[in-house]
Amino acid sequence: MATTDKEVNELIKREYEHGFVTEIEAETFEPGLNEDVIARLSAIKNEPKWMLEWRLKAYRRWLEMDEPDWAHVGYPKIDYNSISYYSAPKRKEDMPQSLDEVDPELLKTYEKLGIPLHEREKLAGVAVDAVFDSVSVATTFKEPLAKAGVIFCSISEAIRDYPELVQKYLGSVVPAGDNFFAGLNSAVFSDGTFVYVPKGVRCPMELSTYFRINAANTGQFERTLIVADEGSYVSYLEGCTAPMRDENQLHAAVVELVALDDAQIKYSTVQNWYPGDENGKGGIYNFVTKRGACIGKNSKISWTQVETGSAVTWKYPSCVLRGENSVGEFYSVALTHNYQQADTGTKMIHMGKNTRSTIISKGISAGKSSNAYRGLVKFGPGAEGARNFTQCDSLLIGDRCGAHTFPYIESKNKSAIVEHEATTSKVSDEQMFLCRQRGIDPEQAVSMIVNGFCKEVFKELPMEFAVEAGKLLEVSLEGSVG
Amino acid sequence: MKAAPTLPAAFLHPAGQSLPQPLLELRKQRGTALVDMPLPTRKTENWKYSSKYLKLTDDMGISLPADEKTGSSLAVPGYKVAFLNGVMLPEASEYPDLEGIRIQSFGDLDDDEAARLAERLDSNLDGKAVQLAQLNSARFEDGLFISLAPEAVLDQPLHIVHEVTADASGSAFPRIYVDAGRHSQLTLVEEYISSGTAAVLVNTVTEVEVAEGASVTSIRLNMEGENVQHVGATGVRQQRSSRFESHTVGFGGPLRRHDLQVRLEGEGAECKLNGVVVTQGKQHYDNHTTIEHIAAHCNSEETYRNIAADQSHAVFNGRIHIHQDAQKSNADMNNKNLLLSNGAEIDTKPELEIYADDVKCAHGATIGQLDETSVFYLVSRGIGRRQANVLLTMAFINELVDQIPVESVRETAHTRLNQFFDQTFEEA
Repeated sequence: MATTDKEVNELIKREYEHGFVTEIEAETFEPGLNEDVIARLSAIKNEPKWMLEWRLKAYRRWLEMDEPDWAHVGYPKIDYNSISYYSAPKRKEDMPQSLDEVDPELLKTYEKLGIPLHEREKLAGVAVDAVFDSVSVATTFKEPLAKAGVIFCSISEAIRDYPELVQKYLGSVVPAGDNFFAGLNSAVFSDGTFVYVPKGVRCPMELSTYFRINAANTGQFERTLIVADEGSYVSYLEGCTAPMRDENQLHAAVVELVALDDAQIKYSTVQNWYPGDENGKGGIYNFVTKRGACIGKNSKISWTQVETGSAVTWKYPSCVLRGENSVGEFYSVALTHNYQQADTGTKMIHMGKNTRSTIISKGISAGKSSNAYRGLVKFGPGAEGARNFTQCDSLLIGDRCGAHTFPYIESKNKSAIVEHEATTSKVSDEQMFLCRQRGIDPEQAVSMIVNGFCKEVFKELPMEFAVEAGKLLEVSLEGSVG
Repeated sequence: MKAAPTLPAAFLHPAGQSLPQPLLELRKQRGTALVDMPLPTRKTENWKYSSKYLKLTDDMGISLPADEKTGSSLAVPGYKVAFLNGVMLPEASEYPDLEGIRIQSFGDLDDDEAARLAERLDSNLDGKAVQLAQLNSARFEDGLFISLAPEAVLDQPLHIVHEVTADASGSAFPRIYVDAGRHSQLTLVEEYISSGTAAVLVNTVTEVEVAEGASVTSIRLNMEGENVQHVGATGVRQQRSSRFESHTVGFGGPLRRHDLQVRLEGEGAECKLNGVVVTQGKQHYDNHTTIEHIAAHCNSEETYRNIAADQSHAVFNGRIHIHQDAQKSNADMNNKNLLLSNGAEIDTKPELEIYADDVKCAHGATIGQLDETSVFYLVSRGIGRRQANVLLTMAFINELVDQIPVESVRETAHTRLNQFFDQTFEEA
């Protein structure tokens, strides 16, 4: 194995490829959090009074809340007053009207990231809303979307332009008092994405957001709200990256999805925040609350996530299945390496009749990382004929990592059926032998085996993302065998 | 914020001063540590589903009287030991004086033996995980000490009956300590029963040391009345190539909680944990098990079945923890639940915590009702609907009841299960 060890060592040294910092002028708040900061933030964004009040209410509530400590992760206590709550690229004039007006430095950043923001997105047919640090910098394809009646804009714009919709749905799925991080987000969220798909409209293209934390010492608190009206369909993708820094940075986002009668929302995430270096230094704390409410009959919400980044992940995309026959799905691949820690999973809350949910979770731990699946499947008394199937598989690569499963299953309805299965295994010597014998090098063999292990989830991803996810996995796994 | 409730001070006054001095000292020391101990609440993770059933009142703090001796012999065959309200009754007990086997009340130990025992008590349990079991260490008035010399084999099961007489409110703290020497063999039956109707707390701790190559089978039958809150803990430590088997048959009550912790400390050790729980009315039952795979090459196998009828509530929490050096571990956990009524609730949490890579671990859990097509199959062959329900429900758990290696226990379990079926399934 001498040569392979060498190769492997070289590969280990390969670093996070999105770890560059973009030198652009930014307007950044002094670190610290109090009511004045929130007022200033709200003022900069020209928010109406009700929004400021909503934020302040959330802030006051947050002050009384305790940071959750039940997750299977460990990190030093966060000082919420040492974080800057707003950082925006400084613009020479007002908001850019088209891509040509966007700061070329920024565009370069996105090019480096490989986001099809400029020309390429036209081929890909992806409409992108890119959130850089705290503000939304550019939204493409606004016009063709508007023709279809789809609203796709930054949440700040939505607050100004569509206050009725925002007021109706903001916080309806994840109320400000839901949990510590959601509370913090509600108080200080700086920007995010708003999508409204009107009745009976099938959104003509995939919508996409790219998040990037650039400035040092800032937290990113974006807020996404997607409303799919009766009979509509929307597929939404998000991706995230951050520069390499020695200190940890906080990312506390909230995503709310609302599906009315017969509506369908497909939400896909490729999360590749900076995971910290091989000694566990730096990296993003990814503390995210994602929840979808299937309010209407026959509605469907589907979460697909590929999680390879972040130093610490605390994330449970959930579905509240209220409407009759509504469907919730969760497909997840979570990969941890080096000292990464992930505590992630889903909640399926079955309230309505004949609601169905599927959970497929694949956890891969390598290096000295810890990867936990934590899920809740709950059947309320009204969940007549409800059904859940859960499969959580863990794959261990190396003998110093951990893979954990904490499924909570609660049933109050006798006709509801839940099945839960979990297995843990490693890349077996036999599999490796078979591949090596056929001349496949160990790196590639592991990547092949892992890709096979994750196939069920990858096939749920939209095409462009599936390719990216496969590649991401390969890069993240480099150096994990030997 | 409301302050978390703490253990009523009334629970910290042990009765029965006839124990040997080292044990009295241990008890005192443990008691001091429990002053103002917070009681579990809904926010306490391992009591999440059960804390609402725990209702400790001051008058339950006093020990149930241990002096009224019934002396009636127990209706079980073979070797037996009778405990009344946590204190052993020698005249109702019947066991042989075999070479290499000691079965003794804590009260009969001499000071040296008691000092050695005091050092070892509580070492088999993770105190943090069994908060309330610590109360037993502060309150036990007697206990059963079982010690098997190397190669010693107890030829028949030892049947320990713990009875509480609940004529007035109070509590009882039965305790068992088993030290099974190398290559020894023992089968133990713990049966918990009660009489009377006053609200009482039974708080039990059983600790089992299984030395190299030894084999211990432990059967737990919980059949106390509707007035008894039962909080029990069993801690097992296994050395190289030893085997431990546990069979639990539990019937619900106002609060039933059993924590079973098994530590596989020596290579090649194996354990098998089976459990059957049925609840009806407004009953509750909560089984928490933990298997710690500490050494390599150990096997564990766990199967629990719960049936909840009416408005009852059954809880299962199984945790398998594979430590970093426990390579080549095999662990299999299976929990199936039958929900017979819409008012009933079942909560299950099969956990895996794995730090070694060369292991095979799997768990499965299901919750559902009787399969309608199976019922139809039987009904279409002329079996009454009620009978079909009983047959299928019995089939759901019988696989485990049949594995109990003591016939008299199987019979007792079947009798009680049949009563449960009679009450649960109405005549068509």
